[in-house]
Amino acid sequence: MRSGARLATMSGMLNATREPAATSNGAAGPILVVDDLRVTFSRHGRVVHAVNGLSYQVRPGRTLAIIGESGSGKSVSVRALMGLLPPSAHIEGSARLDGTELVGLDDKSWRAVRGCQIAMVFQDPASSLNPTMSIGAQLIEAIRMHAPLKRREAAQKAIDLLKLVRLPSPEKRLKQFPHQLSGGMRQRVVIAIALSSDPKLLIADEATTALDVTTQAQIMELLVDIQERLGMAVIMISHDLSLAACYAHEVLVMYAGKAVEHAETRNLFSNVRMPYTKALLDAIPQLSTPAHLQPAIVGGHPPDLSALPEGCAFLPRCPSSTEQCRIEPHLAEHEPEHAYACWHPVSRDGSCTGQKEERP
Amino acid sequence: MSGATTTPAAEKRTRVTENGPAGEQPEGLRARLAGSPVLRLVGRRLMIVIPLLFVVSALVFLLMEALPGDPAQIRAGMDASEEEVEAVRQQMGLDRPGHERYLSWLGGALTGDLGSSVVSGRAVTTLLGERLPVTLQMAGMAFVLSIVISLPLALAAARRPGGLVDRFVMVCSMTLLAVPNFVMALLLVLVFAVGLGMLPAIGFVPLAEGVWPNMRSMILPVLSLAVPMACFYARFLRGDLVEQLNAAAYIDTARSKGTGPWRILWLHAFRNSSFGLLTLVGLNIGALVGGTVIIERIFAMPGMGTLMLEGVMSSDVAVVQTCVFIFAAAAVFANLLVDVMYAVLDPRVRYGSH
Repeated sequence: MRSGARLATMSGMLNATREPAATSNGAAGPILVVDDLRVTFSRHGRVVHAVNGLSYQVRPGRTLAIIGESGSGKSVSVRALMGLLPPSAHIEGSARLDGTELVGLDDKSWRAVRGCQIAMVFQDPASSLNPTMSIGAQLIEAIRMHAPLKRREAAQKAIDLLKLVRLPSPEKRLKQFPHQLSGGMRQRVVIAIALSSDPKLLIADEATTALDVTTQAQIMELLVDIQERLGMAVIMISHDLSLAACYAHEVLVMYAGKAVEHAETRNLFSNVRMPYTKALLDAIPQLSTPAHLQPAIVGGHPPDLSALPEGCAFLPRCPSSTEQCRIEPHLAEHEPEHAYACWHPVSRDGSCTGQKEERP
Repeated sequence: MSGATTTPAAEKRTRVTENGPAGEQPEGLRARLAGSPVLRLVGRRLMIVIPLLFVVSALVFLLMEALPGDPAQIRAGMDASEEEVEAVRQQMGLDRPGHERYLSWLGGALTGDLGSSVVSGRAVTTLLGERLPVTLQMAGMAFVLSIVISLPLALAAARRPGGLVDRFVMVCSMTLLAVPNFVMALLLVLVFAVGLGMLPAIGFVPLAEGVWPNMRSMILPVLSLAVPMACFYARFLRGDLVEQLNAAAYIDTARSKGTGPWRILWLHAFRNSSFGLLTLVGLNIGALVGGTVIIERIFAMPGMGTLMLEGVMSSDVAVVQTCVFIFAAAAVFANLLVDVMYAVLDPRVRYGSH
């Protein structure tokens, strides 16, 4: 069978790329370096500061989870990396992908980066596929965008990609339309599109939020598996801390367009320092807590990004705030491999109140 | 290879699709046609459309009854005696009750006899044969032209919303849209016929007398019908495209593939915007046919519109009835066509939603 031979070459390719993934635990340099990224939107004289000086690095084979509430700037920050922000967005700072500066790229250069070096999986698989085009047409479009393949070769590659994302009976799927697939299957197709040109960086923007829990786990396992086989870097955007805890190597918590805590996943969850991260963790209902107990919620509202106050943006909602918090704390590695931006970090036993007594 | 397993039933279905209509077994073909959602849709719609046309014809008949003026009097002449008028009335069968006359008219219509004009005495079918092609040519050309003008304008405008092209197209189309088509007609005559003398101001030259003279006589009426419609379509399509580009997630997916802006516009956004445009165009076909009445009058085109107007002026029941019925049927069939087009264009309709 011809497809069998193709599959062999495909798995050969996978074996070849598995090597850097294995060695990526520390040795490889970062594929993406984001430095002091700022995104502002100007509208009717109001300036909204969506992202305020974000810096991080992602290495090949590693997964960074960016966590935050709605409006924390997590989505905007990665859309800036894809050049998907509307023209009203003003982007400053630097984001270098494998040496290429992404901030200030012109339209033509963007097209060479998008889909080729960075790819993205979107939130809602029900709307992120074009309802009027067949799965095959959408996949083949992505494949042929960056590789000079003939239609038949591209179709064969499309089938290989659908096998890679473990979509059952891939040959049949090419002729089907998005509405004929389930949500999980559609997200597999979106992932196949994202993988079509072997990207160095995959961004999953709330990629499993719209899916039910079982499908969510399947899609995450698939992403982890593919990452291990292809050795790419992954940024996953989520508001779900437990998802990050399960699947990310590093976690970066965003608040009001800034990173407020950034550490290795194990390190962060065993030793939460930033009161905001603590509040997010406490907001997850536990099976051990008694039933009908009012869940702990993060009180107050996210700040108005067009009128940020002086000092720490979390100040109005923080249980351990003091006068000192009127001066903005900067993100720094106060502990080895653990950066946070807070004057009064949560103590190791997890209480915030101990800090309050130190109030001058 | 576990991913490649297909159930025998699924495989069989795929094979049938691949063979297409050229499949050798007539039985399979018939089953396929019966199973086609498009044909089922056409069948369902026809079951509504055909009774609807009967209702329309009855309404038109009632309407003509309600009109003032006595056709017998008109046929007999204004100075005819009462006995003469009565004789004409009997000869025309107008003394019979309404439902009888409707049924006999319907019977005639179904067998291709639409009666004859009271004024000229000529068969309505003969009149239609002369007039219908003129209107069809005019409306058809206006329809095609309005689409041909509006599509590129809308796509160019939506490429950069708020840009120079966009603002130019929007301002021009708003201005032209504000001008009713009969004013547009008079302005066009003033500029191209009276001012520049390039085109004839009025009159129609049949196709038999040459393509170019025929086209020359068509240009101004077609333009005055097509331009306001094109502006309407362009504005609507531009708005829908911009909304798709800004709000639709599949556009982000397409962009993140590295797809170019024109390809995104044409292949992704336009396909989805075309459904809205299709609805609008379908609804507008009725208005287009109505619009020809005025435009034909202005340009003295011997089409259906002028025929109907003459008929109304002279209480020519058989003529008016036929004309109104044809206009109504055109609107009904235009909407049927739109429904079918949906099914052809939209895979969600084409394949059902399972």
